[in-house]
Amino acid sequence: MSIQSLSRRDLLKIGSGLAASGLVTIPSFAKEITTNPAPAGRLGRIDYSKAKATPTICFGCTTHCGVVGWVQDGRVRRIDGNPLDPNSKGNICSKAQGMISYTYYPERLLYPLRRVGKRGEGKWKRVTWDEALGELADKMRPLRENGTPEEFVFHYGRDKTKGYTKRFTEAFGTPHRLNRRSICSSNRRAPLMSFYGREFEWETQDFENTKYIINFGGNPMEAYQGGLYMMHRIQHARVDKGARMVTFEVRPSATASVSDDYFPIMPGTDGAVAFAMIHVILEEGLENREFWDRWANYPIEDLRKVVADYTPEWAESHSGVPAADIRRIAIDFAKAAPACCTMSNRGSAKHYNGVQADRAIRTLDVLVGNVGKPGGFCLSTLRGWAGRYGQEGLPKLSQPGPKTSSPKPWGIGEGYNETAFKKLPQEVQDRVNAFPDYWKEKYFGELATPSEYPLAWHWYQMRVGQLVYPYIREGRQKVSVYMSYTLGAAYGYPEANLVRDVLMDEELIPFHVAVDISYGEQAELADLILPEATSLERWDMHGTNNYGLIPYTGVRQPLTKPLGQCRSIQHILKDLAQRIGGGVEEYFAFDDMESFYKEWFKNLPIPWEDFKQRGIWMDETREKDYELYERSLTEAELEGTEVDSETGIITNTESGKAVGIVKDGKSIRGFDTPHRLIGVYDEIWKIGAEATGLPMDDVNASPIAIYDTVPEHKELADDRYVFTTFKWNVHTQGRSAQWKYHSEIVHTNPVFMHPDTGAKLGVAEGDSVKLTVFRPTGHTYKGGEPGAMGDFENHVRFLKGMHPRVVACSHHAGHSAQGSVARAKNQLTGPKEGIAGDKGATQDPDIPKGIWWSKEKGGIGGGVAINDALPINPCPLTGGQNWYDNVCTVEKV
Amino acid sequence: MPETLPWDRVGPQFKKDRKRAGILIDLRRCVGCHACSVSCKTEHEVPLGGFRMRVRYLERPEADRSTIAFTPLICMHCQDAPCLNACPSNAIVRGEDGRVVVDEGKCDLEQECVTACPYGAIFINEEKQVAEKCDLCQHRTDVGLDPACVSSCPSEALQFGDFDDPEDPVTKIAAATGAKGWKEDEGTKPSVLYVDHEPWMEEKANGGVQLSDADEDIIYEQNNLKRKEQA
Repeated sequence: MSIQSLSRRDLLKIGSGLAASGLVTIPSFAKEITTNPAPAGRLGRIDYSKAKATPTICFGCTTHCGVVGWVQDGRVRRIDGNPLDPNSKGNICSKAQGMISYTYYPERLLYPLRRVGKRGEGKWKRVTWDEALGELADKMRPLRENGTPEEFVFHYGRDKTKGYTKRFTEAFGTPHRLNRRSICSSNRRAPLMSFYGREFEWETQDFENTKYIINFGGNPMEAYQGGLYMMHRIQHARVDKGARMVTFEVRPSATASVSDDYFPIMPGTDGAVAFAMIHVILEEGLENREFWDRWANYPIEDLRKVVADYTPEWAESHSGVPAADIRRIAIDFAKAAPACCTMSNRGSAKHYNGVQADRAIRTLDVLVGNVGKPGGFCLSTLRGWAGRYGQEGLPKLSQPGPKTSSPKPWGIGEGYNETAFKKLPQEVQDRVNAFPDYWKEKYFGELATPSEYPLAWHWYQMRVGQLVYPYIREGRQKVSVYMSYTLGAAYGYPEANLVRDVLMDEELIPFHVAVDISYGEQAELADLILPEATSLERWDMHGTNNYGLIPYTGVRQPLTKPLGQCRSIQHILKDLAQRIGGGVEEYFAFDDMESFYKEWFKNLPIPWEDFKQRGIWMDETREKDYELYERSLTEAELEGTEVDSETGIITNTESGKAVGIVKDGKSIRGFDTPHRLIGVYDEIWKIGAEATGLPMDDVNASPIAIYDTVPEHKELADDRYVFTTFKWNVHTQGRSAQWKYHSEIVHTNPVFMHPDTGAKLGVAEGDSVKLTVFRPTGHTYKGGEPGAMGDFENHVRFLKGMHPRVVACSHHAGHSAQGSVARAKNQLTGPKEGIAGDKGATQDPDIPKGIWWSKEKGGIGGGVAINDALPINPCPLTGGQNWYDNVCTVEKV
Repeated sequence: MPETLPWDRVGPQFKKDRKRAGILIDLRRCVGCHACSVSCKTEHEVPLGGFRMRVRYLERPEADRSTIAFTPLICMHCQDAPCLNACPSNAIVRGEDGRVVVDEGKCDLEQECVTACPYGAIFINEEKQVAEKCDLCQHRTDVGLDPACVSSCPSEALQFGDFDDPEDPVTKIAAATGAKGWKEDEGTKPSVLYVDHEPWMEEKANGGVQLSDADEDIIYEQNNLKRKEQA
């Protein structure tokens, strides 16, 4: 990215502009040439003498890079990177422009809508905000008055308000602020929190300085939370500094494709390879013994015993990765230490054995002692600045008061919500009553804290989103008002048909209100639709871990007024709170949104106006977050503490919290775990197994990482394949199919397979196949249920980089809603009462007539919906959806 | 605010004079993200179906390599431009800095340029009723900004500069890496040079920017999919 930088001078007017006659003279050419006037519905060239750039934060995916939006005549025309963002460094990807697509989409929801006719029938009338919020408040108020506020369930898909929606749910008094963490990354967060503490559920490898990366199924070149921050650093390190990256994957992803080595790997066997590498490193004596003995909470001799049989040859028999390569890579990795690191995300973790796989992978970094070192596996703060570990000296940034507090936990005991608890099925009550106190104290019912999955909420509420709908159906929680916020469960959850069934049932869900920007599969099944302002039209506080290893913060600010009658979620909840009353309104007594955010950022050392102009703030003089654990505790931090003579743990006597550890006579920070060491070994898995009845020989019950094959992959029959899904770089989750330029590039989701697999099946490229998916067989939802779970038909593409036992379809496509672009139709399909269609700012000559890939125009269409055929499959204890274990048959149609 | 913000350093005084404007495309860095191609469509409101640039996904043919190579394809701003030579209306002209541009006022839609271009760089914009192609974002470079594609690239795979200036980074990198033009045998002397592009890519991406039925590509599926004829 390179905006020219020259010295400051006064701006001169260019003097060009559209003449009334339409032709524009381009003065910079030796000959004068002309450009035709902008056709109807087009805006014409951006005039950079008029257009103004304002910084904000992207919302094209979940990485949230700092960007600037160029606005001309009140309209956002293009997005560029913000070079002041120390994380993205001015870089963006294709999805940034998607913000413009969704803001000006002809089928964007612009008006509140109320269902007429039957739910799901698609008949709507436009209502005013007053009517909409009036009705909603009237339905919600009695829940508080009757002492059952938990019957209001707020369920989000993407919420980056950094706590604003929590302000509302806490003020209202419901613990039900549900999410989709388990759909995504629970399995990889749990190992990190077990190793490094709640503050570090995500790592921050120092890619700028690394020499060797082992990548187990991560794809930062295309997706991955923080992917762009990682990607540009990795490419620089590789091309300019000779760093090497090795990737284990099931398909030739972009990351695999730019890696120096790519090995197709049998799904669910990443752990085996990682264990074998541990075995080799120990065998070769390449471990960093000093680091291990100082910081790991597990004796190395015990680790040796764990991996004694996990040889490279053994790993090859499971994974297909040649033993010689496993050996070579392990040695190269260890020799590059400490400037080396592992990388892993859904590829390794979203399996029945994925949590243990990631624990093994994380052990590799501890073993070679690269943790917190330059070029190594570092940890840098990811959360709001409240004086936590790693945030010392940073200005505190918190929402303006008054501060809300969590509703009471449920259970028997003084101060607990006994009424709510007693409504639970007896089996659930019995299980919870047998829990250790530290779980009882944070139990809030089956939707927020499912008792069968205690590790889904042990560190904090990751929850198990994909069980919300089955649990509601089973009667584990009564719901009165259900609010979907930027949620696409009816499209993107496993067993999406079950989601739709529950949403359609007016006894289970008496009232459904959807807040979103487009008429998607979720909004279709609502009773009330509230049109939201897009990310270009609203405020948010921003913060995430910086791969440049110095904490920073940013602000999302409106570039334009919301279109139509759209309102930001902040406005909606504020208005709703004021209407509900009964004390809820006290938390939303501020006047305007900007002053709310100004107050939030008030402790920044720069004026608010300066911060808005830059969009980003970082203390440039702050040291990088290397070896946070070796930092000495200050006098202030040591005040009121005592040391345990045996363990060296330094505890604050008042709070009872551990704050450090004594090593070699020095009082230092240590890791943010109870034992202040790295939690290679953690009893919590054993405790969770005992509390839930998970057999102790299940791979998920082990307190130390171990390997076991995914249950349904054991003795996988010859005619069975593993079905996996993936993401493209031009799309994000289930909300980008409406972005015209992105869907123009990728609008289908064919079944990718190895040509040999095709030959075996007797199919050629383009042939249609039927994929039949079976239920998993482990200890999970409907585990072992015989027969097919679901099926779908789609056409085949060959890629020789596919693992021969894997077939894969992407996410993103196969929409039955979200308008003409997402559905590949040449008619507008959104409710005409809710959209502007071909009028006003959302008119677009491309939509819907320009959608050339529609079947009507002889095109290939918009893909196939596959999620109805993908089983709900929560990993034992953590609840992470095991998306990548699915066993299927493939038949030519 | 003491310093000028980067996005305020925009204006005709920031325009650089170049003799041979061009783009260096470094395929060692490209990750196929499409930031460039989508940025281009956004910047120029290119209608759906038309492309000033594409990012090609080409399956590597080597037996021991099973991954995908990415390559942006764009107008090459040839120093000996077949489109310019072919146009009967003289509607394609060369700017001071060597870039090749369509003079829309003169375009008569004869489409000789479309046929003449070995890179498939030109398409017909039905809305504007002209031949259209990359113009190196003249309206941006005039105010000191890089072309939209270059500005968007997150891995510095695209760099804009002056191949006539020996001190320009693009010239230096091109020299150091032996960067070459696409389809050199055509004699077009392109001002877009590629680092690490391989001959097999030219074959698989023969249709260039607009693609052709014979082309192979992973991502632009409709144009590529070899389907059985429906009975």
